[in-house]
Amino acid sequence: MATKPDAPPPQMPTDPATGRPLPPREQPGYYPGFSTLEQQNYWDAATRKLVLDRVARTLPIRFFTPEEVRTLAAVVNRILPQEDRAPARRIDILGVIDNRLFENRIDGYRYIDMPPDQEAYRIGIRAFEQMARTLFQRSFHELAIIDQERLIESIHDAKPMAAQEDWSKLNIERFWGLLVSDCCGAYYAHPWAWDEIGFGGPAYPRGYMRLEDGEAEPWEVEESRYGWNAPSDTLSDDERLHGSGQQHQTHHGTGGTH
Amino acid sequence: MSEENETPLLGAFGEPSKPLHYLGPMQQIQPPRRRFKETETVDYVIVGVGSAGGVLLQRLARAGFSVIGFDAGPFWDTERDWVSDEAGSHKLYWNDLRITGGQHPLALGENNSGRGVGGGSVHWAAFTPRFHPSDFEVYTRDGVGADWPLDYQDIEPYYELLEQEIPVAGPAYYPWGKPHGYPYAPHPMGGVGDVLIKGCTRLGIGVSAGGPVAILSASRGNRPHCIYRGFCIQACKVGAKASTLITHVPDALEHGAEIRDNSMVSRVSMRPDGRADGVFYFDQQGKEHFQRARAVIVSGYAIETPRLLLNSACPGHEHGLANSSGLLGKFLMAQAGNVILGRFDDLIRLYKAPPAHALTEEFYETDPKRDFARGFAIQTVGPLPIAFARQMMTAKGLWGWGMRRTMMDYNHYASIALLGEILPWEDNTVTLADGHEGRPEARDRFGLPVASVTFNLHDNDKKMIEFGKNKVMEVMWAAGATEVVQESRYAHLVGGARMSRTPDSGVVDKFGRSWDVPNLFVMDGSVMPTQGSANPGLTIQALAARTADYLISHGDAIFTSSRRDLEEPPCRKTLSPPGTFTAGVPHLR
Repeated sequence: MATKPDAPPPQMPTDPATGRPLPPREQPGYYPGFSTLEQQNYWDAATRKLVLDRVARTLPIRFFTPEEVRTLAAVVNRILPQEDRAPARRIDILGVIDNRLFENRIDGYRYIDMPPDQEAYRIGIRAFEQMARTLFQRSFHELAIIDQERLIESIHDAKPMAAQEDWSKLNIERFWGLLVSDCCGAYYAHPWAWDEIGFGGPAYPRGYMRLEDGEAEPWEVEESRYGWNAPSDTLSDDERLHGSGQQHQTHHGTGGTH
Repeated sequence: MSEENETPLLGAFGEPSKPLHYLGPMQQIQPPRRRFKETETVDYVIVGVGSAGGVLLQRLARAGFSVIGFDAGPFWDTERDWVSDEAGSHKLYWNDLRITGGQHPLALGENNSGRGVGGGSVHWAAFTPRFHPSDFEVYTRDGVGADWPLDYQDIEPYYELLEQEIPVAGPAYYPWGKPHGYPYAPHPMGGVGDVLIKGCTRLGIGVSAGGPVAILSASRGNRPHCIYRGFCIQACKVGAKASTLITHVPDALEHGAEIRDNSMVSRVSMRPDGRADGVFYFDQQGKEHFQRARAVIVSGYAIETPRLLLNSACPGHEHGLANSSGLLGKFLMAQAGNVILGRFDDLIRLYKAPPAHALTEEFYETDPKRDFARGFAIQTVGPLPIAFARQMMTAKGLWGWGMRRTMMDYNHYASIALLGEILPWEDNTVTLADGHEGRPEARDRFGLPVASVTFNLHDNDKKMIEFGKNKVMEVMWAAGATEVVQESRYAHLVGGARMSRTPDSGVVDKFGRSWDVPNLFVMDGSVMPTQGSANPGLTIQALAARTADYLISHGDAIFTSSRRDLEEPPCRKTLSPPGTFTAGVPHLR
């Protein structure tokens, strides 16, 4: 099969003052120098082992086929883009999803209008690929970022631009929830993501002493904001979503709260 | 890593010493051992050692009965098995398959379903408000829902008892329902509690700060006080948050109870004379066993309890055990739990402090000025990053750069939630996914049909949610938020094996004794006819303690007689775990 050239590299987030691309950072976010991993001496043994293993591991791909990996990797890179992260500091998402599906770690239920998670992913990947073939005559991973995002957005909106038959095999809104939940579950489980958002991380047995007014513990870092614009051609920045005035209320949340 | 930080502190840093088993950093016990043979006939088997099962096990063992508590999950070692980590806590939930459907399907798993000794009380956020007196007579007052076959006065002594045994931290004067006070001091406020208080106060809405929660504000016995790390619903390694695993199970083991963990009860066994004689169960290797017992108590919660009884269908009980009314698995309830997220210019850092630390019940009762019956509470919640991202996915439709951007503002958000009373409806059900009569088909690894859950919101529920959600958003705006979004969701599960005054209107009587089988009991959240706007955990434990008193009062007659005595038992204060009672609890009578 003749290979087509890969799509051009994605655009970088830009500096709002200069409009120039911001170089990738070791640690994006507004808490420069904050490192939860540096606090590991203060964690209990079981938690330390779990989190250090999470950082060190390279998960083999055992569930998805190489073709599925190409498509899903491109999708996942748009669901949670990481171009602002230095390449060595990007967080593996696809491996975590593959691992979950291979080991059949489910959340304890399946919606009656959904196939099992494994099948849902296979259907979804096939449908993304089919949309790309139908509309652009190329593989999904070869599309320009903006085109990938158009297709993804149509699934976010539950109005697929093509491959209606594939998408009719599941509830698209639930598939979207499954996909984004899994991506977020992988990314925000990583200590580098905790550093990015200023989350204190594991806190047993030391705990927190400064509970009010957003005050930092002595080992936490004060917020120091900088401006950044998402790549100009992206469809996924939230200002744009706000503009639509649409709230996504179709489905109920799934996590524990009370 | 410095030498000095390698030194174990409260057992928490190093590898715990074997073979002792940790329940919190200070409490160590011998791992539970097998005590009873299968050929031996024990007095009671309890199926599920959660909020209700843990209390029943402890009471019955202390009163001298031979008793085995079965649990499908493990007996936790809190130091080895639990982590201070969101993704690493997945194993705390009931992760086996269930099918969920209906017009407004319930999320299960981590949203509401525990597994392992301690059950849901391991991962509850631990708000422990009482039900209000009105909750027990919803039908009489409002013509909707159902009345309970018991009154507030019947359960009140057990509220007082359990609030001491747990114990509950909260204000000295709690104004809603029947006013009362709490034995342990309220907790200090976190950023989210401050938001709730500020917003409510500006709107003239009263607030309870620092409780009521089943979290220690001062140490007691071998349980340390709270360290405000915010991982309550990931299980409390600290041992400050109560679970029956640490509050009642150790005392049960001390008094001769057995816990048979990793044992999935598949069927209640019936004798030809219409009495239960034990349970069939699968061990971890998938081998089936039978345990003889004089009486069986099912405490598997709102999904697994109906499922077990339906799976126990047998000649004479073709539609499931204890189902002559046809109501088994019906009137399943969840509470509305919409989470409202508000962004503030100032930092909040919502991950600190227990998620549960302030609430208001100002809107709990029916208000004739509103267009729906019953009401709701407003409570703090504290989503950690993964949960928060998933909420933002729904609330703002985020993905991509927008998700990354909003998540970078995680520390600017506060989260408060609705806890609204959804009424019991007959079409909200647990059935078996057995492939019959149009039902889906799915089986677990033992070949048992899994539960199929159907859930629909009705008109009153929708009006309540709309009003309640808007009220919480109003509170968030009043607190000074610059952006307010919300995610619809449910919290908790109850119902499915409701208690009733008559055999044709429910599954069990007011003590949880099944109407059909005299030595078969159900005691857990599934017996509730209505649910109020209070988190159900305390009420489940109080009902369990009351049923224990009933069983103890009747002694061996439970095992032989079919006579149904509906007199309230005396409330025994001698059965509490040691060190429970302290002076200075304000009782307002």
